[in-house]
Amino acid sequence: MEQSAPEDDRLVAESLQGSQLAFQLLVERYQERIFRLIRGYVRESAEVEDLAQETFLKAYKNLEGFQRQSSFYTWIYRIAVNTVLDHIKRRGRSPVQAVEDLEVLPVTQMTRSPAPAANLERAEISSITQSVLEEIPEIFRTVLVLREFEELAYQDIADMLGISIGTVESRLFRARARFKEKLLQKYPEFGTEL
Amino acid sequence: MECHDARSLIQSYLDGELSQAQAAPLRAHLLDCQPCRAGAQDEKNLKRWFVAPQTPAIPQGFAARVARAAVQGEPLPRRSRLTALPGSRVSGATPVGADREGGMLRFVLACTAAAALLLFTLALGIRTLSLPQTNQLAADDREEVQLDKVLEELDQLNRTQAAAGAPR
Repeated sequence: MEQSAPEDDRLVAESLQGSQLAFQLLVERYQERIFRLIRGYVRESAEVEDLAQETFLKAYKNLEGFQRQSSFYTWIYRIAVNTVLDHIKRRGRSPVQAVEDLEVLPVTQMTRSPAPAANLERAEISSITQSVLEEIPEIFRTVLVLREFEELAYQDIADMLGISIGTVESRLFRARARFKEKLLQKYPEFGTEL
Repeated sequence: MECHDARSLIQSYLDGELSQAQAAPLRAHLLDCQPCRAGAQDEKNLKRWFVAPQTPAIPQGFAARVARAAVQGEPLPRRSRLTALPGSRVSGATPVGADREGGMLRFVLACTAAAALLLFTLALGIRTLSLPQTNQLAADDREEVQLDKVLEELDQLNRTQAAAGAPR
């Protein structure tokens, strides 16, 4: 991910000194990424905006606690993910909490992973993917969103979530299996028997 | 490389997470092993589903608004809660916060009406309590009883003095 850590550090320092403009520039640097990240969880644009502003307000409130050992985007992504997950829990829309060693149904092992049909529009694929992701437990959805949509490296995901790289790998493995399973449950027409 | 090892590395390989030293033997194995190659193709197919949703349009002035709220402590309206209000008007031309102002006005009017009703009830109660409870003209029964008693005592005193023939 393209970053300019010194610029972030300067804006953080000026924000801490009370510069409204510096914080505004910081928001401008990250607003698009934060909106897109939240959009990976929440469909309604009004909700996305509310959660984005909540993320930035929390960031400002906790700016003094920002440790420069990690990059600013890792730090603010973590705030955004926590904000969204809290919101989803409050709204009671979360699928059951996942455990690490979820078993994968045999159907996923016996069926090839389907590729999106050639005649599907990009927006249609995105809509199907969103509907499947909404039925995946949070811990799996989070690693998929961070890896597949945000294209973060395993190390960044590990830093963000406070887990090891090995855990990121195993979560991604299970998350993809769970995604495939749900995709085939919801859209059996995409499945191809081995 | 064994198939078991290869399968465990395929996802990391496709994610670009393997070093050259790890990726080279995997590539060699995939060239030789059709089932593992098919497994890799499966993973690639699955990844094609992950089309990132379109970034929602960021409202104009979002960063400035958030920065002002953060630094100056100004409250920010929550759009999702507002739109969920029953009976709220939905209009593209309605500025953000207009419904909030209308709601505040309704709240103030309701409070004023409740306060007026409370004041009226209180005044009515005080007035009712201050009115005579019977149709007697006496303002206070207790005072009337005391006066009778005093008069009777005075009469008694007069009678006693008269009987004793005391000079006036």
